[in-house]
Amino acid sequence: MKYKDYYAILGVARNASEQEIKKAYRKLALKYHPDVSKEPDAENRFKEVAEAYQTLKDPAKRAAFDELGSHAPGEDVRPQAGWTERAGGYAPFSFDDLDLGDLFANLGGAARARGRPRNDGPLRGHDYEAGVRLTFDQAFHGTEVEMDLSVPEYDENGFARHVPHHIKVRVPPGVTDGQKVRVPGKGGKGARGGAAGDLYLDIQVQTHPLFRVTGRDITIDLPLSPWEAVLGASVKLPTPSGSVTLKVPPGTSAGKQLRLAGRGIARSGAPAGDLYAIVQIVVPGVLDDRQRELFKELAETSTFDPRGHFAQEGTRER
Amino acid sequence: MNAEYAEAQSFDEREVIPLSQLIELSGLPEAALRELVDYGALSPLDPQAYTWTFSARSVIVARTASRLREDFELDTHALSVVLALIERVDALESELRALRARRAGSR
Repeated sequence: MKYKDYYAILGVARNASEQEIKKAYRKLALKYHPDVSKEPDAENRFKEVAEAYQTLKDPAKRAAFDELGSHAPGEDVRPQAGWTERAGGYAPFSFDDLDLGDLFANLGGAARARGRPRNDGPLRGHDYEAGVRLTFDQAFHGTEVEMDLSVPEYDENGFARHVPHHIKVRVPPGVTDGQKVRVPGKGGKGARGGAAGDLYLDIQVQTHPLFRVTGRDITIDLPLSPWEAVLGASVKLPTPSGSVTLKVPPGTSAGKQLRLAGRGIARSGAPAGDLYAIVQIVVPGVLDDRQRELFKELAETSTFDPRGHFAQEGTRER
Repeated sequence: MNAEYAEAQSFDEREVIPLSQLIELSGLPEAALRELVDYGALSPLDPQAYTWTFSARSVIVARTASRLREDFELDTHALSVVLALIERVDALESELRALRARRAGSR
């Protein structure tokens, strides 16, 4: 069994008071709780902190932890004879592959800790949450992900310990960043006839160099040359489901949104979103003499004033 | 080790969840769930109905509530305040994402 230094995780001294332990936990919980934190790796940090607090806040568990002595994190520890009896009675078959957190969670009864009487009826298995990082294309088209999880499972006595699972999950098309999906029955096994828990996946989608997502719609910047914007053009536009030819009408100004209906994100049971191409007008950095002449001629011929409204608004101000 | 195979399900907005299932999926005690409804943090589809039902999205809210209640040792009223703030942050973040997405050259 690998040692974890719960005092160091909470950043308190080994002789810290209950109040100091609580204060340290609350501070770290605020910093790392996945529901309120933006810290990288918040979820894993919080799990550590919560595990440390669950053990140290309980005087009996804390005494049992102290009895293990002080070791370097990761060092193999083996409780002395009689430890489990003194600590609350549950003797695991072996300490070899046992997680320290599981051991302490089970002292005094895991089932009781979850608010259910230990010997009363079926126990529903633990739910388990895991993050999944997908590329834009995987999220758009749907994908299959393979994951190695360590899920808490009840044994026949109603005690939980983490068990490795290798699982392949089919993620439906159209998931978006921040969405949660549920994999029914793939959490921890239940006990005494209780149903298995569920696996919840927190979907993270990597940003795409071209496409941006808002709800079910997708936007893409469409750079046009000044003459394409003025004269209109047929341009090849990438979409997540392949290139399409987009007709840009003559006289298209920057910022105009050209909509391609149904080219957005499709989810089962909902109409597909749309794709919006947002026009940008991009000018060439270098002109040759002939091109410069043509622009000069255009400037001299045109009476178009893009800032006509400045004058009007300006007069009104005064 | 052979891989177990499973299908993930999105929470379909049209899916209807009875109170009993919300209790099971969230791990919240019924009394706490009822208080969250009293405080407006969760809304049954028809508050007058004999048996309450909820939208599938309520599962996410109730699970968040369950975590926060346990991890921050919050009472239900404080929990409602936190949930309301989280909802506002989520709404603002999604509005911000939409605005950013709609702004040309934002990459």
